[in-house]
Amino acid sequence: MTIQTSPRSDAPAAPARVRGLPRWVTTLAPVWTLVALFIFFGIASPSFLRPLNINNILVQVSTLAIFGTGMTFVLLTGEIDLGISSTAAISGMFAAYLFATLELQEPIPLFAGLLVGTLLGLFSGIICTRFRIPTFMGTLAISFIGSGLTTYVSKGRTLTTLPDYARFLGSGRIFTDEAGKGGFPFIVIVAAICLFIAYVVLRYTRFGRYVYMTGASKSAARLAGVNTNTILVAVLTISGFTAGLAGIVGMGRLGSAQPDPVPSYLLDTISAVVLGGTALTGGRGGILQTVIGLLIYGTLRNGLDNIPGIDIYLKEFITGLVLVVALVVNVVFSGRAARDKTV
Amino acid sequence: MAAPLVIELKHISKRFENIQALDAVDFDLRQGEIHALVGENGAGKSTLMRILAGIYTGYEGDYLLNGKPVQLQSPREALSRGIGMIHQELSVMPELSVAENVFLGRQLTTPFGLLDWRKMNRIAQEELAKIGFDHINVRDPLGNYSLGTQQVVEVLRAILSGAQVLIMDEPTTALSPPEVERLMQLINVLRQSNRSIIYISHFLDEVMYVSDRITVLRDGRKVTTLDKKETNMDEVISFILGREINAKLPEATHQTDDHTLLEVRDLTADVFSHVNLKVEQGEVVGLYGAIGAGHFDLARAIFGMYRFDSGTIKVDGKPFPKDFSARYAIKNGLAYATESRRKSLFMEEAIYRNVMMPHLQRLGRVFLPQPSFELEKARPQIALTGVHPSDPLNPVGQLSGGNQQKVAIARWLPFPPKVFMMAEPTRGMDVGAKNEVLTILRNFRNEGYGVLVISSEPETVLTVADRIVVMSHGNVVAELENKNIDKDVLMRLL
Repeated sequence: MTIQTSPRSDAPAAPARVRGLPRWVTTLAPVWTLVALFIFFGIASPSFLRPLNINNILVQVSTLAIFGTGMTFVLLTGEIDLGISSTAAISGMFAAYLFATLELQEPIPLFAGLLVGTLLGLFSGIICTRFRIPTFMGTLAISFIGSGLTTYVSKGRTLTTLPDYARFLGSGRIFTDEAGKGGFPFIVIVAAICLFIAYVVLRYTRFGRYVYMTGASKSAARLAGVNTNTILVAVLTISGFTAGLAGIVGMGRLGSAQPDPVPSYLLDTISAVVLGGTALTGGRGGILQTVIGLLIYGTLRNGLDNIPGIDIYLKEFITGLVLVVALVVNVVFSGRAARDKTV
Repeated sequence: MAAPLVIELKHISKRFENIQALDAVDFDLRQGEIHALVGENGAGKSTLMRILAGIYTGYEGDYLLNGKPVQLQSPREALSRGIGMIHQELSVMPELSVAENVFLGRQLTTPFGLLDWRKMNRIAQEELAKIGFDHINVRDPLGNYSLGTQQVVEVLRAILSGAQVLIMDEPTTALSPPEVERLMQLINVLRQSNRSIIYISHFLDEVMYVSDRITVLRDGRKVTTLDKKETNMDEVISFILGREINAKLPEATHQTDDHTLLEVRDLTADVFSHVNLKVEQGEVVGLYGAIGAGHFDLARAIFGMYRFDSGTIKVDGKPFPKDFSARYAIKNGLAYATESRRKSLFMEEAIYRNVMMPHLQRLGRVFLPQPSFELEKARPQIALTGVHPSDPLNPVGQLSGGNQQKVAIARWLPFPPKVFMMAEPTRGMDVGAKNEVLTILRNFRNEGYGVLVISSEPETVLTVADRIVVMSHGNVVAELENKNIDKDVLMRLL
């Protein structure tokens, strides 16, 4: 047996690390995963590293990024929001309905859609805290309400007349040339703005600290004078807002408002956020981690499409396998395989 | 002749990150002996026992079990080789029945593979009767019984799993005096059945009473192993502290100048009723009661963490509104360190973050200042309370219990409160840390805070308080000046 020696770290809360590996290897495990995927797909696929495809990856993860912004807040408190895909659906559908059927002026439908999402988040936050319902159940109920409302408002029809604002948010481009070609997709900018604001809030504000501390230990946060219920309501409201925005942006990208939620949004979002290293148990992680997680997820999905000759019926299976490997690598390398076996 | 050695540890060393927890420690245990392990907080007692029980696997040195070297990989393996650990904080399931708890993890089954409840209930009942606990109904949920009984069940579980060696880590901290008495009897029964016990405790009177040999650890090193018959408590204390003892606390220089800082009037909730309580400036009030007397919940209520039905709370003359929050209490000059450090501190966070956490509302409405500002604000408080090691960037979870307690105190100092409430300030601490913490509390008083110490340990209130308020079953039953009172006076009042 040898004594474990590791350089004395100045970072707080460094958990037990993998023997002998320096910190920059272990804490950045998700980054190395991303680099490895990039190198792998770059070699395996001739088209993967083209600028156009990188552009594609960014566009593909943008909707998830907006969802993920809110989800990061929720997961950091140690809670979960299962209502986001339904919230997105009703927000998009409501905006489209106001615009197409009631012919309200822009940008009213857009704001109304966002308001619906935000209110649903607020509502789930209030019932979960007021009646001490676990968020797992509370937000699950909200997801039924959201998808039910979507079906009701749409009467089962797909709406294709969309508010121009939503169209621009989802599929508009800026810095195009004179012929209207090229340019940069605006949806990526929307996602970047969301992530940036969330980054600042989580890192530099008192509220952000409270979010982390609530997740790290609810009782300790309460004893330090934090109203953890308010924090929980706030993060679910934020998640409702981002889900609403993602719904409207996603609708703009697809060009239609669907009468059903896209169920995969939910699990895709959670997977991406957790892949980045944000803990489901709360208190650990952040926006930078979410960005890396999103890129890993986007790279993986897109990369498999770009490898010629891969059986498309195997794609989902391979995605799953790679996710398992990525999660294991993250856990092992960030030293979460804890020393104390009673935990 | 001496009984054979069951366990031998040779030159055990263990290192965490930057802390040398154990340095070449030798330890051995004979069959049928009670071997006490004593030392200050952070001396390495818990670490050594965790190695013994297979919880820590990476260490240097040799571990011999019945003369053969072993490498235990898990607590389960340790138990299968006859080593059971009774943890400081119990690991029973209060919602399951007593019998279920006794057989937790190794339930008996019928020939058809179904759980054999009848047999389990019968055996549990018989075994409890053997050790003098025949009044327990094994079908009741364990949570219906007192902590002492729950501990007995945990001991029984270990024995029935075949444990020949029992490690008891601070078994009596949460027990009432009669429960302690019964545990001592149980330990004697176990000794007679030729089992060996490693007994870790800060209560030296218990150690002197129950043990055969005493090993003293200090700073991760073994100081000595003493035969109980050839030593006395003063000698043990001087070995623990590494110096001649000076049992006297700083002299009380207190004068009450009749400025009431905390006034509780007629406070009533489900677990206490019509409580009146005053804390003057420059006074330490001890709130004493047995576990379950309602005094801990009273403290929580004063801090806005327990809902009360009627009554008023005034701090420095200012009446608190009904249903006020902890945040309101902090803002208006209350500080509260709970009896559970694990629930009140962020174990994975840096010390300085823990220290600044209650005060963020004073640092900025929306944005927080630079981390360096928080660091500099926290540093003097960490130094003042003598947290060791003092690096503010260390996570609190790596500190020993006593040092965590100092952090729990330090965190209220960046913006000094008017009234400092502290529950069980010295629970689970050794003599040295105890004195340090009590000295801090006395200094608070001399600086003009009001201090309210809530405890179920008579020694604690007797050492530190100027005035003692005794609670029993939710009522204040006595209020005494702390002059010439003895432990037995307090105990009789319960």
